Amino acid sequence: MKVLIRYGTRKSSGDLAIRDEWIECDSVLVGRGTECEIELADPRILLAHARIALKSGEVYVESLNSGSLSVNGNLVDMAKVSHLDVLNIGPFKVIVEPFKDESDLTISIELISPLGDELENLKQRANIGIRTIGLSKRKWSWAAALTVLAAALLGPMIISWLVPKAVVDVQRADIHDAAVAPTAFWTSGGISSSHKFFGENCEVCHERPFIPVQDSACTACHQTVEHHSDPVRFPSASFEDDKCQSCHKEHQGNQTVVRNDQGFCIDCHGDLTDMEPATTLRNVRDFGTDHPDFLPNVVIDASLNIMSREKSMSDPEPPTENSGLIFPHADHLRKVGVRHPTDGVIELGCSACHVPDEGNVSMLPIDFEQHCNQCHTLNFDTQLPGRELVHGDPEELFLQVSDIYNSVALRGGYEEPEAPAIIRRRPGTPLQDTDRAAARNWAEEKSAMILEGRFGKGQCSECHSLYDDPSTGSWNVKPVFITEKWFPKSKFDHGSHSDVGCQACHAAESSISSGNVLMPAIDVCQSCHGGEVASNRVPSTCVTCHDFHMDGLAPMRPIESATNRSNSRLAVVDPNALSHLSAGVQ
Amino acid sequence: MHESLLIYRNMRYLKISLVLVLVTGLLYVFHSPVGSPNGGTWLGYTLGTLAAGIMVWLSWFGIRKRSFGGPAMRMEDWASAHIYLGLALVVVSTFHSGFQFGINIHTLLYFLMMFVVLSGVVGLYFYIRFPKMLAENRAGLTTDIMLTQISELDRELSDFSLTVDDETAKAVYEAVHNTKIGGNLINQLTLYVADCPTMAARIFVEQSDGVCDESTRRKLLTRLTKKEGLLSRIRKDVKLRCLLQLWLYIHVPFTFATLAALVAHIVVVFYYW
Repeated sequence: MKVLIRYGTRKSSGDLAIRDEWIECDSVLVGRGTECEIELADPRILLAHARIALKSGEVYVESLNSGSLSVNGNLVDMAKVSHLDVLNIGPFKVIVEPFKDESDLTISIELISPLGDELENLKQRANIGIRTIGLSKRKWSWAAALTVLAAALLGPMIISWLVPKAVVDVQRADIHDAAVAPTAFWTSGGISSSHKFFGENCEVCHERPFIPVQDSACTACHQTVEHHSDPVRFPSASFEDDKCQSCHKEHQGNQTVVRNDQGFCIDCHGDLTDMEPATTLRNVRDFGTDHPDFLPNVVIDASLNIMSREKSMSDPEPPTENSGLIFPHADHLRKVGVRHPTDGVIELGCSACHVPDEGNVSMLPIDFEQHCNQCHTLNFDTQLPGRELVHGDPEELFLQVSDIYNSVALRGGYEEPEAPAIIRRRPGTPLQDTDRAAARNWAEEKSAMILEGRFGKGQCSECHSLYDDPSTGSWNVKPVFITEKWFPKSKFDHGSHSDVGCQACHAAESSISSGNVLMPAIDVCQSCHGGEVASNRVPSTCVTCHDFHMDGLAPMRPIESATNRSNSRLAVVDPNALSHLSAGVQ
Repeated sequence: MHESLLIYRNMRYLKISLVLVLVTGLLYVFHSPVGSPNGGTWLGYTLGTLAAGIMVWLSWFGIRKRSFGGPAMRMEDWASAHIYLGLALVVVSTFHSGFQFGINIHTLLYFLMMFVVLSGVVGLYFYIRFPKMLAENRAGLTTDIMLTQISELDRELSDFSLTVDDETAKAVYEAVHNTKIGGNLINQLTLYVADCPTMAARIFVEQSDGVCDESTRRKLLTRLTKKEGLLSRIRKDVKLRCLLQLWLYIHVPFTFATLAALVAHIVVVFYYW
């Protein structure tokens, strides 16, 4: 169809200037886009805003893309229009006239509402975009960075320079009053439980800025930390190049700084016999799977105090103790009981003799007077019921018995029928000079008879081995020497095992000889304890039973005198005051 | 464009970061230091140095993106690597920490850094998601066109309100002259404005049946409704564009706080060696 488009422009005089344009098309596209038949350069017009079409002689107008379109003031999407209707496409007034003159369709178009102040006003009122808010990345960044630097680094540093250092001096016992260091916020992790009481005073250990913690900080308090082994005999175990810190890591949280991983130990002890051929120790890798059986320290010769560790507990011929004592445990632990001199038959348990120490860790030594003497009274003469043989000193025993019977002979009144009349005389009756020799003879004979008889020699030999002593010409008691610690290199806490019966580890009920070493073999321990990674046993590492720093060896690190340290401006912890402090805690 | 940063160069920087994370993880798993794993072991110092390097490099992105035509790496490389190395930093620094946290400068640094990474992830999410949402919302219009359309409606509303009763005219006047778009941060992030004068006028005109000439009332109502539609569209546009910028106002200042904490962390570690 042929379309006439009449663009009208209102002049300043008010007259309308018209520019005609003829086009040939099927329908007329109105919009801002260049492909439009009617191209309207106005921001209020969409690229493709509306379409005007002629169908069956009627003119239809259709809004595209929700472009603003109104017919006689009413917003429409599509409408049939005639030349009488006022059509508004955005700010343009449009009049359509079909079949006028030579055209199929005439479209008159005029901008009636130039862009006015509404838009400017609206734009002024609309605060769009983050820049209108007044935020500033730069300012915030400076503020954030400086705040962090000041609060976390410079502040504490400057305060710690200005404020006198908290001297943790236990000689004055003022640990409690020492203020928290301003730099406590710098801690790289929780202080171990045992160092917590001074842990907020950083300078106690960190003596100088930018210098790593020195061993002297540790030995200031820990003065008795011994070597691991003799550094002369075993230089490989001297740990000379290591610092305390190499093993004892602080700031690892609320736990001990003592290493307990078995890997640390088996690093050397796994192949120790290759590393140190001179060692008497055997290789070990894991308590549960690769640990040699226990070698008890047993007495070989009680008189010469010779001990040896040669046979293990699981040896086919188990180690035997030669303590010089005769003590069958089985006889004492009989279920039917034992006869007590005054209480009748009583049943003895282990605790009748074995009493733990105050810390409930080890058993106290057996004491004759306390544990044996109740039943084993050392009476020797029915005529002298209150008298007992002296225990522990055979030489004294011979003198004692002789003295007793000489005294009896002097006093008289001894009622044994076999005794001579002078001995049986009324007590207090003076002894005639002529009878003295006979009385003394009787006393000597009686003493010898007692000492050699059932109540002397016989009674002693119940528990002791006797021998003929050439120096005195009579019998004597072999020295007794009992092992105090069968496993001297291990530590064992009876208290923490108190729920396990004694018999679980010590087969005393069936022991008929005091030569039996009633210590458990390793499999007894292994029935509950496994190695570090055991899943079905109590995971136990080397330090569960063994110490690293060995008692009796020299200190591992030289100890700086406390005076030097005080003079060097450093915080000092006095170990004496530490003990004072811990006493206070208890 | 921003989705393409994730798959840029066949995800070269994702692969580099994954290798980094994997190597770090294996070292951590097979590392058995004295005590618990921590920043003070050889691996701890190594990972710490690596993490500090990555942090400084990531921060350098802010300077690099201002200077055009750098010779070494294209901007797309920087952006893609920035994203993936930033994510890898989470793993590297966590292994550096040995999972030891407390109330101290070191954990402060860790959480500042994590917050920066998190804000970066949020920003990345915005960059991936919002451009499409913005385009869908605008439907081919620009903000200027939408404002122009609103001003057109305003003009028409003003014209039509000349013939109506005083109360309706006042409501329409408020709608034309006092409707706000954007404003402060909260306004820009708010889609529904409870006291919007345009909404108030629309409701007023809806309910003022019979007060004024029906055809005029209808004309006002259609324009107010249309303006409301445009307003909600432009407000959504404002909100999305605001968010698209806003995360950087978190990301950048916290980056600087993190760098300051990094300096403090390093100084402190060696101050109390």
